[in-house]
Amino acid sequence: MKFVGKSVKRVDGIKKVTGSLKFVDDIKLSRMLYAAVKRSPHPHANIISINTEKAEAVRGVKCVITGDEFTKRGGLYLEDKNFLAVGKVRYQGEAVVALCAETEEIAQAAIELVEVEYELLPAVTDAVEGMKADSPLVHPDLAEYHWAPVFFPKPGTNISNHYKLRKGNSPEAFEKAEFVVENKFFVPHVQHVPIEPHTAVAQMDVDGFVTVWASCQSPYAVRQALSVAFDVPLNKLRVISPAVGGGFGSKAGTTLEGILIPLAKRCLGRPIKLTYSREDEFENAYVRQGLHANIKTAVDDSGKIIAVQNEFVWDGGAYTEYGVNIAKAAGYASAGPYDIENVWTDSYCVYTNHPVGGPYRGFGMCEIHFGIEQNLDIIAEKLGISPIDIRRINGMKPGGTTGTGEVVSTSGLMECLEQVVSDIKLHEKPVSNNPKKVRGKGIACGWKAPSMPNNAASSAVIKLNEDGSAHLLVSAQDIGQGSDTVMTQIAAEVLSISPDKITIRTGDTDHTPYEWQTVASRITYSAGRAVFEAAKDAMDQLIELAQIKLGIYKRDLELRDGYVVSKIYPDKKVAIADLAIGLNFEDGSAIHGPVIGRGAFIPPNVRNADKHTGLGDHPVVFWTYGVQGVEVEVDLETGQTKVLKVASCFDVGNIMNPQLLEGQFEGAIVQGLGTALFEELMLKDGKILNKSFVDYKIPTADDMPEMIIKFVENPEETGPFGARGVAEPAMVPSAPAIANAIYDATGIRLNTMPMTAEKVLAAMKAKNSKG
Amino acid sequence: MKGFEYYKPSTLKEAVGLLKEHRDTAEILNGGTDLIVRMRDGHSAPGVVVDIKGIKELHELSIEEGRVFIGACVLLNDIGLHDVILKRYPYLSQASLSVGSKQVRNRATCIGNICNASPLADTATPLLALDAEIHIYGEKGIKTVPLSDFFVFVRKTILQPDEIVTGISFKDDPENLGIFYKMSRRKEVDLSTVCSTVVKRDGKYGISFGAVAPTPIRLPKTEAYLNENALSEAVIEQACKLALEEVSPISDVRATKEYRQEMVQVMLRNSLSEWL
Amino acid sequence: MKKWIQFTLNGEDVEHEVDVHKTLLKMIREDFDLTGAKEGCGAGECGACTVIMDGKALNACLVFAVEADGCDLLTIEGLAVGGVLDPLQVSFIENAALQCGYCTPGMIMTAKALLNDNPNPTTDEIKEGISGNLCRCTGYKKIVEAIEFVVKDQNA
Repeated sequence: MKFVGKSVKRVDGIKKVTGSLKFVDDIKLSRMLYAAVKRSPHPHANIISINTEKAEAVRGVKCVITGDEFTKRGGLYLEDKNFLAVGKVRYQGEAVVALCAETEEIAQAAIELVEVEYELLPAVTDAVEGMKADSPLVHPDLAEYHWAPVFFPKPGTNISNHYKLRKGNSPEAFEKAEFVVENKFFVPHVQHVPIEPHTAVAQMDVDGFVTVWASCQSPYAVRQALSVAFDVPLNKLRVISPAVGGGFGSKAGTTLEGILIPLAKRCLGRPIKLTYSREDEFENAYVRQGLHANIKTAVDDSGKIIAVQNEFVWDGGAYTEYGVNIAKAAGYASAGPYDIENVWTDSYCVYTNHPVGGPYRGFGMCEIHFGIEQNLDIIAEKLGISPIDIRRINGMKPGGTTGTGEVVSTSGLMECLEQVVSDIKLHEKPVSNNPKKVRGKGIACGWKAPSMPNNAASSAVIKLNEDGSAHLLVSAQDIGQGSDTVMTQIAAEVLSISPDKITIRTGDTDHTPYEWQTVASRITYSAGRAVFEAAKDAMDQLIELAQIKLGIYKRDLELRDGYVVSKIYPDKKVAIADLAIGLNFEDGSAIHGPVIGRGAFIPPNVRNADKHTGLGDHPVVFWTYGVQGVEVEVDLETGQTKVLKVASCFDVGNIMNPQLLEGQFEGAIVQGLGTALFEELMLKDGKILNKSFVDYKIPTADDMPEMIIKFVENPEETGPFGARGVAEPAMVPSAPAIANAIYDATGIRLNTMPMTAEKVLAAMKAKNSKG
Repeated sequence: MKGFEYYKPSTLKEAVGLLKEHRDTAEILNGGTDLIVRMRDGHSAPGVVVDIKGIKELHELSIEEGRVFIGACVLLNDIGLHDVILKRYPYLSQASLSVGSKQVRNRATCIGNICNASPLADTATPLLALDAEIHIYGEKGIKTVPLSDFFVFVRKTILQPDEIVTGISFKDDPENLGIFYKMSRRKEVDLSTVCSTVVKRDGKYGISFGAVAPTPIRLPKTEAYLNENALSEAVIEQACKLALEEVSPISDVRATKEYRQEMVQVMLRNSLSEWL
Repeated sequence: MKKWIQFTLNGEDVEHEVDVHKTLLKMIREDFDLTGAKEGCGAGECGACTVIMDGKALNACLVFAVEADGCDLLTIEGLAVGGVLDPLQVSFIENAALQCGYCTPGMIMTAKALLNDNPNPTTDEIKEGISGNLCRCTGYKKIVEAIEFVVKDQNA
């Protein structure tokens, strides 16, 4: 292949290295107004009164709005949220009042003058407590909400989804089992920390047309949500996402866009901008849900897992319109990448008065694997077998069945395992040259499927230009992962023209065709297929026309380097430039008109699982498998852990662009390291104690380990050129691999994240005083 | 950020005049890396800002007449990479280079770090251990005050609203030995969980710790003990025990009291062990 | 309060009346429409606003605009002279040292200042030197490689 599989340079590279790419906060429009938001200082309270008089009186303030004017609830999977609080506030930071003014300063000064009176309510600050019968209710009106039929909220409780998986007969298997091991794990909230905070601008014109510029992963999802919330028809609502400075899930769905629409309605013809500060980002953008996991495993003496019983209690935060699906995804993935006959899982998404949980890279997988992969090592040690062997015995191989009963046809897990074991030299015990430090190695497996509705769709349009160049239109967002480049490569490969002859345009619901969302590691796979189909459609049209022009049967024609060429007589060809807007005949007449390639794709045959048992033979389109191996060094005196080396191997189906693919893994490994060792939203009574970079630390270049990144390619049948999604799976094994390595080094096991120096030291001391 | 009046005087006299005139509402602008953050967070809202970077003598770093003098406007990066400081006081260099990021250190100053008076100020412990003196300019002229008397409480010093610190100085001692130790969550660009400097000059110890009390402190009891007892493993252990009595760390978002107590011992033990 | 300041901006002499309480970052972005420097945190922790003033890399969010008076200011927009990319910019593209691009201008300016000060840094010096620039996308590996590439190239 000419372009696919090559390290084609990023098509957006020059704009980014010169700082000329305009992100949403860089956009300056004439007569722009600036929004400010009054937020709740309490995690749970009734709103008694709101007084906006003083704010309204400030010169330069244009309008002030409260939630009472827009009480329609919205949400992706469960409609439980409002853009401005209605009647009560459910987390510290929730937006209560918004206003806009001529300058940012006036807006900031005026918002201080808004007075809100609250009646404090007892807050739910622990998901397990929140499930108890006497717990205060975060959403007492849950019964009135609407939700997609694949979710099962329990009105009258804080449970917004109870997912069940019942494969085989776990209770029976546990009774007969020789060894039963039970462990608890806890993962706190973390935040995505995209370096670009959320930003949006909205403008409503006199003719009723609304334009929104938003740094968002999914312009069509934003369009849909706003259309429903504010009764604006889709053909009059345009969402543009010009650039996204990192998403990781935080910019999926909708966040702040809805606050601007009611303001825009009152200030017709004027664009209104709202930019989050870094503090807003920690408090008021999505966070990753917290997890309390209980994993019980039955094993026979050879190391074969006979049954698992999992209870996942998710701290979903104040609104779980997105989180209900994380509970579901974690549920159907709860067996991990292992072939287990009996799987019993209850995965609960629970409301708390914590920041809003939402999609975060991994969508539940990182959190559950922290437990699953440590649990496996614990079992292995009890049985006296190695961490490698227990994974060799139980790991998914072609022909195995998943937790939902799906038969697996492709799985490179075993190959990845052997590769990582070799690359990290797992059999060689690492030794530190410093007597006060110890080293250890650990491995972890991971898997993930794209968690999306069965009908999540992609589409693409290719327009040929008269000079033989082309425009590629998609709404797949390049949020850094490189989709602009890979989509271009796919089109270039099929059309057989150089990538620099193709200009990709994205993120404009008026001009680029529908894309469900840029999430779920689905874009290379799904949008890639749509682009492939569009290019093929254009190719078919070109060949049809060439057939007429050249008088050669289309079976014997192909595209090559900007021409339609005969496979048999290579000098018989016609430039695609000459066919781009139609075919001209000698008599002066012409046919066909412009060549526009159209492609659309929905993953085939993804079917609902049974709602009572969770069983289904094809509930997801594919699984991505992989393994990470880690070497760490732990300081015995301070507990500080340094990750020295990470080896990663994943089955990616087909490497579309080696450099960009490596980049995804390098980023995922370092992000995983951050969550494993440093990151935690420290919450006390529902209040965030560390909502800034001073005390929420993410890795710097100095924390970067040595990374050995390899791939295995077992093609994904339905993927473009065999590719499957990888961006999230890449991060899944990070934290547990580090945890297993810390155990190998020190003999201590940490069941909670992050594994800070203080926790490691305390655990080592406790172990030494016992032993 | 709220509006303010900005002045950039070119002499100390002018600067102090402005500070006196706008007593209740003026703040000094030096590197700005603390002030601007406080203003952004709403903790500070001066009506008048007096930029002292226009005063030439404040930019001096000199070693003359047996004293090292670091002027108020000398940048942390410049101190950290200064030939003589690197060679003779490598621990002061390390402390300077451990504050913030490179970009921050291209604006931030040692004096700013000191005057901000955070309990964990990284440049405080080496200077305290060196018995440094703060030079203060007021209407009545210049006075020097031992650094140990300069800190009063968390973010509070003896500096009056119409006074300016012109620099800090300490006795130049080419034979000195010292070790700086910074314990933080992340190696680069982090506040100290605990920081320390141990200095030995003329056979006498100077031991200073940060983030274990409302201000950076010296440990006089521990120093006295070490001055009288030759170093050995047993002596070092006893010193650590004494140190524990002289510190009073708290638990906060960065660490617990217990972890800090443990780190005080680890840091002191490792520092002294270098000289065993 | 407004003040007139004079400074050199990307090689050009400019005179500008600025709101005294505006940070250098806000002035660059709002008054001069040079939006390459970004506000990632506003508090000097993320480095996305890094520019070079009088030869030193600094966080523009921690400087008042008025302090630029008499100074020589270089932003990312001034790096490619006459449309010719700086070797660092070329290397970042060649080595795929960027993903979303938001931290990139700040990262490149820090690297530029680093190499101006020390044309032959070790890998550790590079890692330490850019630790004031946060990146969430790349994991830093290709960024370090891109800088090393320029070092090797320039010292060859």
